[in-house]
Amino acid sequence: MIAVELAKMFRRPRTWVTIALLNALPVLVAALLALTDLAPRPGEGPPFLSAVLTNGTLYPLAALAIVLPLFLPIAVALIAGDAVAGEAQAGTLRYLLVRPAGRTRLLVAKLISVVAFVLVTVLVVAAVGYLVGQVFFDVQPISGARATGGTALSGTSLTPAQITGRTVLAIGYVTASMLGVAAFALFFSTLTDSPLAAMLGALAVLIASSLLFTLDAASSIAPYLPTRYWLAFVDFFRDPILWRDVVRGLGLQAVYVAVLLGAAWANFTTKDVTS
Amino acid sequence: MAARGQRSGAARRWLVVALGVAVLLALPALIGALPASDAGTSATDLRDRALASADVPFSGYAQAAGGLALPVGDQLTPVADLLSDRTTMRAWYRAADDWRVDVVSATGETGVHRDAGGTWTWEYEEHVASRAAALPLALPTAPDLLPSALGRRLLSEAADEELSRFGADRVAGRDALGLRITPADDAASVSRVDVWVDADSGIPLRVQISGGETGGSEPAVDTSFLSLDLTTPAASVTAFTPPPGADVRRDEQQADLLATGRRADAVRLPDSLAGLDGRTLDGTPGAVGVYGRGVTLLAVSVLPGRAASALRDTLLVAPGAVVDDVGVRIAAGPLGLMLVDGGERRGSWLLAGTVDLDALAAAAAQLPPRRGDR
Repeated sequence: MIAVELAKMFRRPRTWVTIALLNALPVLVAALLALTDLAPRPGEGPPFLSAVLTNGTLYPLAALAIVLPLFLPIAVALIAGDAVAGEAQAGTLRYLLVRPAGRTRLLVAKLISVVAFVLVTVLVVAAVGYLVGQVFFDVQPISGARATGGTALSGTSLTPAQITGRTVLAIGYVTASMLGVAAFALFFSTLTDSPLAAMLGALAVLIASSLLFTLDAASSIAPYLPTRYWLAFVDFFRDPILWRDVVRGLGLQAVYVAVLLGAAWANFTTKDVTS
Repeated sequence: MAARGQRSGAARRWLVVALGVAVLLALPALIGALPASDAGTSATDLRDRALASADVPFSGYAQAAGGLALPVGDQLTPVADLLSDRTTMRAWYRAADDWRVDVVSATGETGVHRDAGGTWTWEYEEHVASRAAALPLALPTAPDLLPSALGRRLLSEAADEELSRFGADRVAGRDALGLRITPADDAASVSRVDVWVDADSGIPLRVQISGGETGGSEPAVDTSFLSLDLTTPAASVTAFTPPPGADVRRDEQQADLLATGRRADAVRLPDSLAGLDGRTLDGTPGAVGVYGRGVTLLAVSVLPGRAASALRDTLLVAPGAVVDDVGVRIAAGPLGLMLVDGGERRGSWLLAGTVDLDALAAAAAQLPPRRGDR
């Protein structure tokens, strides 16, 4: 059933159109930066963007930072919100459930295909970012006597191997950060027959969370907001790595995924399926 | 029949989910409610232990929150930000002259590396590394707000009768014993300083300063470790070498301070001001005087005419400013600031410290006239 769901998702043109659109913005930003040579002042704009003019190796991270606040969650909410509600709307859900596999397994299969989508999306954004970085910007030599790698936020020099390793960690962390969004959308998807409502519900949660995070009055609940630790992937580029927020971010996402999946399971396995 | 079975199944499932959520929600509160054990250490012993902790190495993560809106112009923006914002710090401490404090923000950081000869300050956003010699008197920077540094500094000059104990708490997951300083000086604007001292190592883990307008429940400055590790950090962590391509500079703060001092060398400052005794700090320029003790301090210095007029314009429009013949004075929490006008060419006196507005006025009246006044 998992293989069926995965194949179904990746055969859909919509999946690939979403991923392609997601890559459009970082490519456009890179092209504009390369043409005008105007990088944002350090400390302004998305993280790492100010550094890419001198070191294109960092562009995968800048690309992720560009899509992380809005575009990536929208794409994830779109796919996850469609998972169950989409089948219901198309009238195919009851045929799916006729199979003897059971509703819990269907839910797990849907979740795994959403996770696969998140992973593929993040990897494609990073890969396109890497290519764009190599094409548009100066790149520090990766090997040889003059290999410098780059500078960590803390002012220490990182070897190219360190940069690569930390980029991989950051990609993994961004993927994990998206799981909370996916869980929200999947849960809403079991509540409603409208994929649009499920997606907008998940986005409403995210926008509320981002807004509350900026509010000093909400600082007591800030550690529990799903978007609280999203930017912690920057911490991989401090020296020594600051694990505190990364660990908290992973734990928080795990809690959201567990609770929302539990709710989705409790709701979906006993739901009257009418369409 | 089937419908009822399905309903009870749904209820059971929702019950499982609800129980799980309840456990998860209760966990932080339960951990926070872990009781702290209070050793029967006396206040003076606890102070001595805190002061002796200067050679205990550690690494930690701390947050400082200041509630002081300092009405100063562009020149002192970093200081004003420090006292009004939330500052997140990572610290590695090997010895009094071998440590590093990074102020981390969402997208960058500023690191201060101390070695035997002075400090390196690395600003990632500007890509600048600046070297400064160790100064006996300098403007406050983020490392001064670290609970260990601030706590030891405030406790170092507290008299025995100003100290008292209050309970114990858990700070950074450790048992911390409460130690309170209630300043005895009449001029004091700080009503109390609460220091939580680690029962194990003596390192101050949390410091709260209360007083002034904000006095009451909200502390004016609240700084606390969120995690602390007593293993010695590696020497390579605190060391600093400017990275290739960085803009390397010398910090001019000391030169500025000394230049101001030389210009006003002729002025002799009184031995005491507003009932506070003067103190000598080695290497302090002649025209900067520091008075008081412990948490009640008053600094007096000559401000060149140009800087003074800019500051005066800012102070005059600040809410709560008191303007009279002597000058303009203002209080931000327990911090008092006063500018005694000397005119465009002669420069002005700047008084700043943790004293109340009456003490500032009294001190201003005791200052010698500036050269041009005679």
